[in-house]
Amino acid sequence: MRISKILIVDDSPISRRMLKSSIPKEQGYQFFEAGDGQQGLEMFKEVQPEVTFMDLTMPVMDGITSVQEIMKFDGSASIVVLTADVQARMIMNAYQAGAFLVLKKPPTKESIQEALNKVEEREP
Amino acid sequence: MHELQQIFDTINLGLVILDRDLKVRHWNRWMARCSKIAPEAILGRPVFDFFPTLQVHQSFRRNCKSVLAFGSYAFFSQKLHRYLFPFPPTSSFEVKFEQMQQSCTMGPLRDDGRAITGIFLTVEDMTESAANEQKLIEMNSTDALTGVYNRRYLETRMKEEFGRHRRHSRRLTLVMFDIDHFKRVNDSHGHACGDFILQSVAGAVAERVRITDCLARYGGEEFSCLLQETDLAAGILLAERFRCQIEATDHDFKGTPVKVTISLGVSELRDDDTLEQFVKRADEAMYRAKTGGRNRVCG
Amino acid sequence: MESELQLIDAEEKDVLQEIMNIAFGNAAAELAQVINIFVVLSVPYIRLLRARELPEYIKSEVGDCESVSIVEQDFWGEFKGNALLVFQAGAGKELAFMLNGGDTGVFEPGTTDRFESEILMEVGNILIGACVGKLAELLGDVIQYSPPKVLVENHANDALPQNLFDPGCSAIILRTMFRFNDKDIGGFLFLVTSHESIDWLKGALAKFMAQYDA
Repeated sequence: MRISKILIVDDSPISRRMLKSSIPKEQGYQFFEAGDGQQGLEMFKEVQPEVTFMDLTMPVMDGITSVQEIMKFDGSASIVVLTADVQARMIMNAYQAGAFLVLKKPPTKESIQEALNKVEEREP
Repeated sequence: MHELQQIFDTINLGLVILDRDLKVRHWNRWMARCSKIAPEAILGRPVFDFFPTLQVHQSFRRNCKSVLAFGSYAFFSQKLHRYLFPFPPTSSFEVKFEQMQQSCTMGPLRDDGRAITGIFLTVEDMTESAANEQKLIEMNSTDALTGVYNRRYLETRMKEEFGRHRRHSRRLTLVMFDIDHFKRVNDSHGHACGDFILQSVAGAVAERVRITDCLARYGGEEFSCLLQETDLAAGILLAERFRCQIEATDHDFKGTPVKVTISLGVSELRDDDTLEQFVKRADEAMYRAKTGGRNRVCG
Repeated sequence: MESELQLIDAEEKDVLQEIMNIAFGNAAAELAQVINIFVVLSVPYIRLLRARELPEYIKSEVGDCESVSIVEQDFWGEFKGNALLVFQAGAGKELAFMLNGGDTGVFEPGTTDRFESEILMEVGNILIGACVGKLAELLGDVIQYSPPKVLVENHANDALPQNLFDPGCSAIILRTMFRFNDKDIGGFLFLVTSHESIDWLKGALAKFMAQYDA
C-alpha cells in the first residue's frame, strides 16, 4: 500500500518535530498533526492517512484509547505506537489495542524507515 | 613497564575487569595472590566458572546488569554483603571471620564512542576494620562488670520485638528483678563484694536463660530479662526458677559466705500496650514483690 | 513561592521535557530487566527554583506522608547535581521482600534498620543511575556518581536538612514519581541540577535538536 498521508499524534510539539525530521522527505508525504488522542481520532476520520504514528501518554484521550477508537472506525488502519517505555507489559497493551507496530523512542531514521516499509508491504 | 600497569600490579587492592559477558579480561596480582588463581588460568573465562557463589548472588547480578545498562556505579559494603569473593582471611591474628571481609565497588568501562564495553571491580580487604567494629559493637552492648547485655542494647531489642509483636502477634514477656537489700551487702562487706555478687547473680541467671532471650543489667542492682515466645504463665515459672536458684546459692567472697535473694516482677505484652506501659507493669509487679516481703515473684 | 526563574527559555524547557520523557521511559523499561520488578515512572515535571526554596518545595510535593526515608547521591559530568529519592517509610522492608522473593528475616538483632538502609541504598543507586544515566546518554554526557547515602530514615517529612544545598544556587528540579509492581512502594525522585551546569545544558539541548532539524 503506497503511503501518501502520514498522521502524527503526540502532545509534545518537540516530539512531533523529532518524528517528522526522521521521516524521509523525498517521498513527498503529506503530514498531519494532532495534539491529543481525541483530535487524533477526528483527524484520522477526516484525512484517512495510510499510516498513523501515535504517542501513548497524552491528555484528553490517551494513546491506547485512541488506538482502540481508530481501529473500531477502521479495522485495517496501520498505527505505529511510539513509546519510550518499552516494557513487555506496555508493548502487549499496545498490540492488544490494535497497534500494527511498537517503536522505541527516540525515533531514528532507520527505525522509522523500517516501519514505513512494513506498512507499505501490507495489503490495502 | 607502563606506569598504569605498575599500579595495576602493585596496588593493595583487588582489580578485575569483566567484559559484557562477565568473562575476565584482567585479573591483577592482588587478586591472583588472594585467590591463588593465576591470571593465565582465568583470563577469557566466565568469572562464575571460578566463583559459582557469585552466580547466585542476586545483588551482584543485579548490579552488573545495572552498570552495563546505565553506566552506573555499584557499591558492595562489607556491612551488608560481607564479601563477594570467598578468600581466606590474610591476617592470622584474632581471626573471627572465616572469609576475608570485603568492600567492593563496580563501575562501567567505555570505548571511545562511549559505549559501555565492560565492568571494572575493586576489592578492598576490610577484615581488620570489620573485626574492630564488631569489638566496638560488643563493647557498646554489654555491661562491663557482669558481661550480660546493657540497658541500651535491651532497649533496642525491645523496640524490635515490639515491632515483631505488632506484625506477627508473637508473645513477649518481661521479667524485671533486683537484688534484695543490696545496699546492706555493700555496707557490710564492701563494694568489691557488691560487684562480685552482681557478677555471680548475673551469671547464675544467665545459665537459665535461653539463646533467644535477652538478659541485661538495667541499672545498679537491677536486671531485666526479655523472653521471646513466652506468655505470662511461662514467664512466671521461669522467674520462679531464677528466684529459687539465687535463694539456694551460697556465694563465697574471698572466704566469706554471702547469701542474697531477688524480687521479681513479670509482665506480658498486651495488644493495646505501648512499650512504656509494658515496662511499667513489670516494674510495678517487682515493686509489689518487694513490698510484699521480698524474695518472691509477682505477675 | 518566589517568581519562577528564567534559567532556560520556554522552548529549551520543552526540549528538556521531551528528553526527560524519553530518558525516564527508557530507564523504566530497562530497570524492569535489571531488578525484575515492574517499574512505572510518571511523566517528569520541570521546575526552576532557587536553592533556598528547595526544602519547602520538596516537603510540599511529597505531601502528607507520615514519615519518609531519603536516599541521596551526587552525580557529576558536564551535567552536575544531586539526586534525592524520597521513599515512604517502611519501603526498605517491602523492597527487600520484593527483591529477595520472600521474608527477609533478620540476620542478628539490632541489624534490621541497617539492612533496610542498605536495601534502600542499593535500589536507590540503581534507580538514580538509570534515570540520570539515560538522561546523560541523550544529552551526550558521561556521569560519575558518589556512593549513595541514606539521609533520613523513617522520619517525619519535615526532617529534610536545611543546609543540603548551597543557598546561593539556583536549580532546575526534575521530578518524577515512581511505583514498583503496582504496589504502594512508591516515592519521588528529584534531580537538582546545579546552576553551574546550566550553560552546558543549554548547549546540549540545542545540539540534541540540531540532530533532528538537519
